[in-house]
Amino acid sequence: MKRIETSIDKVKTDIRDFYNPVLHHFMVINAVDLGEKIEVQWFFCDYAHPCEITAFCTQIQPDIEIPSIRDIVSSAWVAEAELVDLMNIKIENTPKGFVLEPDFESGPLRKKK
Amino acid sequence: MKLSSFRKKSPWILHYNAGGCNGCDIEILACLAPKYDIERFGMINTGNPKQSDILLVTGPVTKRSRERLVEIYAQMPEPKVVVSCGVCACTGGVFRGMYNCEGGIDQYIPVDVYVCGCGTRPEQIIDGVIQALAILEKKTKELEQSVRLKKEPVKEDTQLNRRNIAGEIIKTA
Amino acid sequence: MGKQYEIPLGAQHISLLEPLHFKFTTENEKIVDTTANIFYVHRGIEQACCSKFKFRQVSFVVGRVCGLCSISHSTAYSQVAEKLVKIEIPRRAKYLRMLVIELDRIHSHLLCLSHVAENSGFEALFMKTMQYREFSMELLEAVCGNRIQYDFSIVGGVARDLKPAVGQMILERLKKFKPQLDELVDIYENNWTLSLKNKGAGAITKEDAMRLNVVGPFARAAGLAIDVRNETEDLLPWKEVGFEMVLDTAGDVHARNMVRLHELYVSMRIIENIIARLPESALITETKAFPDGEAVVRIEAPRGELFYYAKGNKTQVLERLKIKAPTFSNVSAMVEAFKGNEYGSVPAIIASYDPCLSCTSR
Repeated sequence: MKRIETSIDKVKTDIRDFYNPVLHHFMVINAVDLGEKIEVQWFFCDYAHPCEITAFCTQIQPDIEIPSIRDIVSSAWVAEAELVDLMNIKIENTPKGFVLEPDFESGPLRKKK
Repeated sequence: MKLSSFRKKSPWILHYNAGGCNGCDIEILACLAPKYDIERFGMINTGNPKQSDILLVTGPVTKRSRERLVEIYAQMPEPKVVVSCGVCACTGGVFRGMYNCEGGIDQYIPVDVYVCGCGTRPEQIIDGVIQALAILEKKTKELEQSVRLKKEPVKEDTQLNRRNIAGEIIKTA
Repeated sequence: MGKQYEIPLGAQHISLLEPLHFKFTTENEKIVDTTANIFYVHRGIEQACCSKFKFRQVSFVVGRVCGLCSISHSTAYSQVAEKLVKIEIPRRAKYLRMLVIELDRIHSHLLCLSHVAENSGFEALFMKTMQYREFSMELLEAVCGNRIQYDFSIVGGVARDLKPAVGQMILERLKKFKPQLDELVDIYENNWTLSLKNKGAGAITKEDAMRLNVVGPFARAAGLAIDVRNETEDLLPWKEVGFEMVLDTAGDVHARNMVRLHELYVSMRIIENIIARLPESALITETKAFPDGEAVVRIEAPRGELFYYAKGNKTQVLERLKIKAPTFSNVSAMVEAFKGNEYGSVPAIIASYDPCLSCTSR
């Protein structure tokens, strides 16, 4: 797995430069609660070079809004909608309520303080 | 012939997955297939709750599917029997205590037959459905019984207190 | 532009195995827009795996994510946990894992095919396919001890050995199944009534498949060559046992049927090769280490690429476990491929996606 450390401002331009629908396969967006911060990871793999997984990683504060990549990767909306509900983070243009019921206390995957 | 004799010979099945892992659902499908062939008991899998007699439920009830489960149960005509297939439908199983699970369908609807196992074997499902048939027959008989009130008929011209009567309905043999 | 109608389908429907809700916007019979509500089955397994269960128990829990591909889930988790505790499993365990995954693929593909036939209105073919499918369930019971939910892969290896008599039985049953499969291929390929429902329905182009990141037989039917078995030689040696990619170009329901049927031939050949070349070694590598660091594993489940991410923190309980199921990647393409089809062919199209919502929602 190849990790590319990036920042929250640059991640969208990084992915736009990297992603080519003919060459790359978008897998999933993952987030890990590190306590103070949340690490968000965008996973891609390569059709031509097997086993090569690229992960764009960035660490953010929980209340910062993450840019949406659905104008670059059109199937990313499912993963984004899931993250919003399960990790209780903000992603632009993504409402709550896709995974959990709207009245549910969101962020079950966050660590309890 | 009366409707009740058809119901006994040919109960229709409704299947609903309330959040399970598909394992018991494919065993229900396997029951319909030639090897186990549940249709020899006259059973058909129907998609319409208003035409079915036996409700087969699998899976622990998730928060989003519980309203649908109760709605489907409410739409089924009396008499009806509920069979919970698999350990997670009975008690919650491995999913008990997870944040989006309720743990067992009997918290929402009355269950008549519990079929255990993870996953249930087709033989167990058939056995459960056969037991459900006996319960269905019993329920039909109960429905057909006449209901007598315990209270003496009113002789004087007094106002009836309906709340008092409602607590004392009994069924005679 | 004619008048538009909204038609809901689900959450309970005769053509659905599990709760799934679609809302179709139609003009006369043509579908112009679709919205999907897929998370009816969300249970919270990821959170429970990181809090309630120790990392050795998790391989049994993730098997319960999905009853159809439970071996893929428990194998993928076992592999990712083995990466975290840094052990190499014995060669025999690798071969046995592949054996059960391929047997599971046979039963899952045949189930999907029979479901397509039923939803296309061909009840007799449903019965026939289900009848032929029973042999794979019996073989799985002989190998693992249970018809579904095998609990075969555990962290470090596999739980049961393959007895020579069972291996012989598998070969005999496969020999019996081969003419039956030829018969099925003939029906699914040439039956005129089935082709009316299946040819051209739910089609997706290769460009769309690439743009929407489709995986599994859905993508391979459109000509997109994505199969994890083609790539990961280090974890499970698929190439050694004769894996070949099956591709089609049309991308419709018929092409998906054909891809699934021809993958069954590949699976059968893989199983025969595994039993012929099964190496002798221990079944399990013992370790007392605790998971540490982070790792990623991909595996080809019957529906496509299954992705596991795990992070350990040197304790018994994992820090984070992320499961990406194949249908999760296909959701956006599933919604897209309905467009332009008639409402009457929707059940067949849904069945041909082979959606596994309990994987998707976990």
